[in-house]
Amino acid sequence: MNARHIGIVAKKELFGLSSEKTIVFAILLQVFIAMFSSFLMVGLTAMYDPEAIEGYSTVTYGVGYAGADSPLIDEFEKRDDLVLYRMDLAGALAALRDRAVAAVVYVPDTPPDAEEPVTVTLYLIQNDLQSSVINVKVKEVLQGYERELREVRADRMTSFPVGLNFPESGGGENFFEFVYGLLIPLLVLLPAIVSAALIIDLITEEYQRQTLETLISTPVTFAEMVWGKIVACEVLVPVQAGVWLLLLGANGIAVDNAAAILLHASAGGLFLILLGALVALYYRERTSAQFIFSTALVVVFLLVMAVPYNPLNLMVRLAVNTAGPAHWLILALVAGATALLGWATTAYARRIGEAAPPVR
Amino acid sequence: MSLASSIRTIAVWEMNRSMTTMGRHVLPLAAGLLVLLMLVTAFAAQSGVHMQDGMYRIGIDDPDVARVVASDNRFAAYLDDGPALWENRFAYDIVILRGEVYAADTDKGRAALKTLERDYEGYVSHVAAGEPDLFAAYPLWIDLQYVKSEIDFLATQSGQQVGAPADVRVPPAPSGPVEAVTLPPSAMPVSEDDLREHLAEAGSDHPLERYTGIISGGSVTDRFRTPSELSPPLPFDAIILVFVFIFPLYFTSQFFMMSVMNERVGRAGEALLSTPARPSAIVIGKALPYFTIMLLIAAAITLFAGAPATILLPLIPVILFFLANALIIGMAARSFKELSFVSIFFSTLATSYLFFPTVFANTHVISIISPLTLVVLGIQGDGFTVAEYVYSTVLFFATSIILFYAGIVNFREERLFSEKSLTSRLADFISGGIGRDHPHLSLFLLAAFTIPFVFMTQMLTLVLFFNIPMPLSLVLLTVSAAFIEEFAKSIGLYAVARERPGFLTPKNLLLGATVIGLGFLAGEKLLLFATLAQITESIFGSVLFLSLQVLWMPLLLHIAGVLITGGFLLLWGRRAYGPGLIAASVVHSLYNLHFLMGALL
Repeated sequence: MNARHIGIVAKKELFGLSSEKTIVFAILLQVFIAMFSSFLMVGLTAMYDPEAIEGYSTVTYGVGYAGADSPLIDEFEKRDDLVLYRMDLAGALAALRDRAVAAVVYVPDTPPDAEEPVTVTLYLIQNDLQSSVINVKVKEVLQGYERELREVRADRMTSFPVGLNFPESGGGENFFEFVYGLLIPLLVLLPAIVSAALIIDLITEEYQRQTLETLISTPVTFAEMVWGKIVACEVLVPVQAGVWLLLLGANGIAVDNAAAILLHASAGGLFLILLGALVALYYRERTSAQFIFSTALVVVFLLVMAVPYNPLNLMVRLAVNTAGPAHWLILALVAGATALLGWATTAYARRIGEAAPPVR
Repeated sequence: MSLASSIRTIAVWEMNRSMTTMGRHVLPLAAGLLVLLMLVTAFAAQSGVHMQDGMYRIGIDDPDVARVVASDNRFAAYLDDGPALWENRFAYDIVILRGEVYAADTDKGRAALKTLERDYEGYVSHVAAGEPDLFAAYPLWIDLQYVKSEIDFLATQSGQQVGAPADVRVPPAPSGPVEAVTLPPSAMPVSEDDLREHLAEAGSDHPLERYTGIISGGSVTDRFRTPSELSPPLPFDAIILVFVFIFPLYFTSQFFMMSVMNERVGRAGEALLSTPARPSAIVIGKALPYFTIMLLIAAAITLFAGAPATILLPLIPVILFFLANALIIGMAARSFKELSFVSIFFSTLATSYLFFPTVFANTHVISIISPLTLVVLGIQGDGFTVAEYVYSTVLFFATSIILFYAGIVNFREERLFSEKSLTSRLADFISGGIGRDHPHLSLFLLAAFTIPFVFMTQMLTLVLFFNIPMPLSLVLLTVSAAFIEEFAKSIGLYAVARERPGFLTPKNLLLGATVIGLGFLAGEKLLLFATLAQITESIFGSVLFLSLQVLWMPLLLHIAGVLITGGFLLLWGRRAYGPGLIAASVVHSLYNLHFLMGALL
């Protein structure tokens, strides 16, 4: 193995990437995604934590109230973002369909201290963003009513939970858990997956275009050629992941321990790239190799996620600065596994290289 | 050989070939991976997702309180005595001292507090669920009912607020007729044991878990919830459908893309081209097996999800669209990596076009521009009308057919095996459609054919800018619409100028611009009157399709646009294409804005 040869091959591949302007497509893609990032942010956060969207709304909503009088009315009076209208149920539902009110509650005449529960019917507009907002607001009102009913029926209870006094949280949207717990690890993982798919393209292309003979006739050995491609793909991982982290930083999302995160991403990325290289060397044909690799990727990903202290989890911990020194141990383990895979790849590539120049 | 029989021959041949190249080597390993996948899934289900473990540090002085967060991996809990905790309070996100919760005044502290509050709710529910008198612990149950309501496209324009502004103390009077409703019964229709079971299941819910069981519908017990279990309805259910329906279809279309690419690698397709089969037979024959497989996959998913079979109808144009794009990308990409990047780029565009409108399903008619909305409606049991079907799928059908046509015309040796770059290959494809004998007729047809693509792109911008505040969204829409139109009109001219520099004389430019303007207008008219009546009535429509009001004005505008771009090309050569395009777009936008302001003032 000659480091200079590997460098030459890596440089050639990187040059090929930039001359083909495929990189332009990658940049276009990022710009495109950034174009509706606000939409994505609100949308994805709402998917992760629907209650977060309450913070976006400053409007006062009308709520139709039908049925018997109850302390629920007083609970509604306490809120200044909800206005209660006493209506009959049919009229209230018609108004809801017109969107003249945002929700309708129907309260039966069950007394507060009855044996059976109080069953309140809540009508909302189906599959609607506004319903999600109103749902959160009405939920708080109903929880207040529930506390009141619990007090009335307290003498029928036997055990009591530990009491906790929460400070006023102030409400508002909170992206923290979504951004740090999901978005950052996925964004950092993405370049690793892209690079792994890229190595398959690079290797199978040599086979399918039958350009190997020309390459092997140079002083570069087969194993060096493979490693040159691997290096080219590996270099892209920390660069792309670093750009993501910088972009996040530019958007006011500070990420702690960025260097350590990039180290983890590079180690994990190299593992995936080597996996891709092995699959590509075995199949020598893009369709099969990509198919097997993407299936294998799902298996690896699921397995990793199910293990405590997995690299993705460590990236989360590093990003919020709760990792502790244990992550170096995991990094060493991942690096060890990667080295093992690297050794296997080298041995396999040598064996292929020593066999007669590959012919189809 | 007749066309049908040669298509059949090619289709059978394609099936055999892909089965043998894929089959022998891939199937054993794929089967092994599938077994592994099942094992890993079982392991993951047992072990849980460990992505967010130890995000927050929490300091607690009481082991009883520690049980509240014991089941939540997101908290790393530290037990210590009160003074020591208070001393190190800045090392923790949350400190709990004698039942008082103190959170750090940071984003992280607030996020931790919110998570703790939810965990506490879950813990209280858990304790209460063990009560002998369930209805003392849970005195209030909510029966959640959903009502359908759809606003039409004009609502946002006329300034009607969707959020029902409630300033007056008078109850709003419904505008339509009031239907009689039966009052809900006051007694609980579900047995106490069932409710207990339901509570036990709902004990601790992690945000990610709500997506696991979305396709399987809820039972009767799930209709009744305690107040703390009320969770907002997901307005974005549709993304699950994207994954379930669209992803497998896209994945299969990749095989077709690869099959097309493989014909080109090392001139492998030469043998195929030398057979008496016509290019159309080859392309259709090659695509047919994949079309069938994709349809079968969609049918299998539909059957599995228990959805009505009619939802396959809107999926057909989507399948065709994927295949048509796979064909063009497979024919145009220079190398495998280019193929990968372009197809990822395309899939992102296509997915957002399909997905974003469905967010407004049931809410807004704009959602109908995506066939996926029809799938949502079908699954909900609402169904869709023929008009809606035509409206949402016509662009997909039209673009697919045109792309297939372009692919077939260019499925020739000199196009397939050339080593040019992506953009010049695409330009070749376009100039391949321009006949030497009737260049003006070809330009006319080409301009008309670009219309579906123009509409599709403009629809995408409409979706993109939909959530931006009104004046800004209009300006953005105007400028981007103008640019898209100018670009579409100029590509024919650009392709000709590239291949036959001598063609571009002042006389030919004038003639070409006229026919392009005419063709563009004709295509616009045809498609618009067929489908998009509803959108054109709104203010957004008048931005996109402004040119339909008077005939000769837009015709002049279209011709002027082409003349500007063409003039730049004529005077300063191909390098001036970009500046020319920008100049034409500016003129076009100014014209549009002028008319729009007139309409608004």
